[in-house]
Amino acid sequence: MHTLATAPATGRTWIDLDDFQSFIDAGGMVEPGDDMPGEYRDEVFRFIEFHANSELMGGLTERDWIPHAPGLRLKQIFLAKTQDEIGHAHLLYMVAADMGVKTRTEMLEDLFAGRSRFHNVFHYQAVTWADQIAIAYLVDAAAFASQRAVFAECTYGPYKRVLKRIVAEEGFHMRHGEEMLLRLATGTDTQRSMFQEALDRWWWPAVQLFGPDSDPDDPLLRWKIKSQRNEDLRAAYVQKYVPLLHGYGFTIPDPELHQDDDGTWHAGPIDWEPLKATMRMGGPDSKRRIDTAARNWADTAWVREALDRRGAGT
Amino acid sequence: MSTLVSTALVDQVRAAVASVDDPEYPDVSIADLGLVESIDVEAGPDGPVAVVGLIPTFSGCPALDMIATDVERAVTALTDVHECDVRWLPGPVWSTDRLTGTARATLADDYTVVLRRKDGGLRCPVCGSDDVDVQSQAGPTRCRAVAWCAACRNPVEVMR
Repeated sequence: MHTLATAPATGRTWIDLDDFQSFIDAGGMVEPGDDMPGEYRDEVFRFIEFHANSELMGGLTERDWIPHAPGLRLKQIFLAKTQDEIGHAHLLYMVAADMGVKTRTEMLEDLFAGRSRFHNVFHYQAVTWADQIAIAYLVDAAAFASQRAVFAECTYGPYKRVLKRIVAEEGFHMRHGEEMLLRLATGTDTQRSMFQEALDRWWWPAVQLFGPDSDPDDPLLRWKIKSQRNEDLRAAYVQKYVPLLHGYGFTIPDPELHQDDDGTWHAGPIDWEPLKATMRMGGPDSKRRIDTAARNWADTAWVREALDRRGAGT
Repeated sequence: MSTLVSTALVDQVRAAVASVDDPEYPDVSIADLGLVESIDVEAGPDGPVAVVGLIPTFSGCPALDMIATDVERAVTALTDVHECDVRWLPGPVWSTDRLTGTARATLADDYTVVLRRKDGGLRCPVCGSDDVDVQSQAGPTRCRAVAWCAACRNPVEVMR
């Protein structure tokens, strides 16, 4: 039986990157106590930091909507999702900090100073409650597909173990998204047009979440952190969600969307420049989101101080 | 009335309920998590009615509606009952004592989620070390705390 709980090896060394590559190609799993190549450490660290930042920024977004969620049950769901995302960020920051590149405090301070990156989707503004549903239905599904593709291989042991739980919980979020969408899709004309407007705003950010086409020699693919190329994940997503949204009677905001003779859906060409600008913190809602997160961090300094003092026994 | 219903039908319902996994732990049955408190089959006007009594791990758990829907679907699809009525019972209160060995093993081996021992100690589900410290009582879900194993340097979670 496949199990993630096997006593990890430790202290392994590799002569050079070719030797390390053979280990990876033979299905090897890297553990924190191994003397991993610096290049691998840096790439994997950057990837996990990006994932952790995205979970944290995503959690803070969900939190904004708890007071606006219509009804106790939806508030309960948004509370739980917020707790999930913040919990995921916590676990991922622990794994990343242990890699010895940056401490958790350094990662958070870089994030709040706008020096590090997180998923494109958290740079845009959610305008109405229907935007939150579009995010839950479209964005969570894209994030889920992308995380599942990382879990499928993932040669860094601690990250893979955490991903197992994260992927299970994101699957649960997706079901909530489907349920909430169904309610709007079968609702009044106002509800349906609210969702269409939200879809117009969120379709492209969701599709772009997978990123531009992978480099021919992407080290994350070579070292089996990622198992699939960005463009393949994006194509599979379009193929799945176009018919579902059409089935509910919604229009995809892509005039060049077309279907092959064999039934495959193709999105129109994507101009990646706006996305690149967004990722450099130039998105419409980036500043407000980062400022809010930074304010939270500053406002809770006294809690960290109190905990540090307790830890130091003073 | 229920004396008229065959025990075979009750067993069918029990098996159908056990086929439902927890939405947050695919491969862990709600029966193994200890959520199933009672199963009865009563005669109804249109056929047998299954009454399934469940208890939540935590009140306020966001998965309750989803679990109830999954149970209703499984029972009506897999058994000869006409209808399934799922009830969330106010008691007994759930505790980790209700987890079966199967659930404990899958949680530890696949999810690296562990339970406290009777003496309060923790054993790392990854490497078996006792060098495990809880870092935060608030984990990603209400039923789990976050811990760190200093021996194998993995964040693990503790059912609480």
